Amino acid sequence: MNLSRRMLTKEEEDAVGDEIEVRREDQDKINKFSRLHSHELTLEEELKVKNKEKEELDDITTELELADEDDLVPYKIGDAFFHLPLPQAQELLGLSIAKIEEEIGELEDKMATIREEMTQLKVELYARFGKTINLET
Amino acid sequence: MADIQRRLQALSEDYAKLQKDLQDTVTSRQKLEAQMQENFGVKQEFEKLKDGETIYKLIGPVLLKQDRTDAESTVKGRLEFIEKEITRLEGHIKETQAKMEKKKTEIIQVQTSAQAAVGAGPQAVKGRA
Repeated sequence: MNLSRRMLTKEEEDAVGDEIEVRREDQDKINKFSRLHSHELTLEEELKVKNKEKEELDDITTELELADEDDLVPYKIGDAFFHLPLPQAQELLGLSIAKIEEEIGELEDKMATIREEMTQLKVELYARFGKTINLET
Repeated sequence: MADIQRRLQALSEDYAKLQKDLQDTVTSRQKLEAQMQENFGVKQEFEKLKDGETIYKLIGPVLLKQDRTDAESTVKGRLEFIEKEITRLEGHIKETQAKMEKKKTEIIQVQTSAQAAVGAGPQAVKGRA
């Protein structure tokens, strides 16, 4: 927690002088910042889940490289398991990995956009309100 | 007077922090309890297995054959770790609860002395008039 941007001391509060009026547009910006932050947190959770999935897929890919060519691999599709020849299982794994990497990329892009927007709002709000607003997350 | 206000503010913040710490620890402990149940269930299943029966582990979409000895020792190790963690967290919970009690007492003390100060004020004025 960034304590230096916590509540103002009495001296700091006095030093600020007259309160800056919160206009409609300011309130809108504050609300937008809050919404973006919530969204960011949700995306972070999703990203965590997807990264864990990808890790598992990578692990099993490595394990299968050590497997016997003649072994049949029980592969889960939906709620059922299919005994697949090794090469086919490996192909399906490859496709899953590619798909999840794409999804991870999209999530990261979305998060970058959100962070950019949040930074911009911070600039504008700090410019107007200075120390009297705390936007640290 | 402002001094006392600030002190009360700081103490309240400390108390809130302790409360959150307690909540987080309790949640972690509940998660561990669930994990322990799950691993215990697996251990029981293993004990029912006859010789020659295979154990599989689900990694991603694939069921990978496991060596029986490896699987059993993995689950045993996990159970031991979880039990240790649970004990540790329970200790932390008791500690945090004790700290919270102390903090509560401090807050009450400060509040009482604040009221005493307010009480002393009007009487001092009365004395002079």
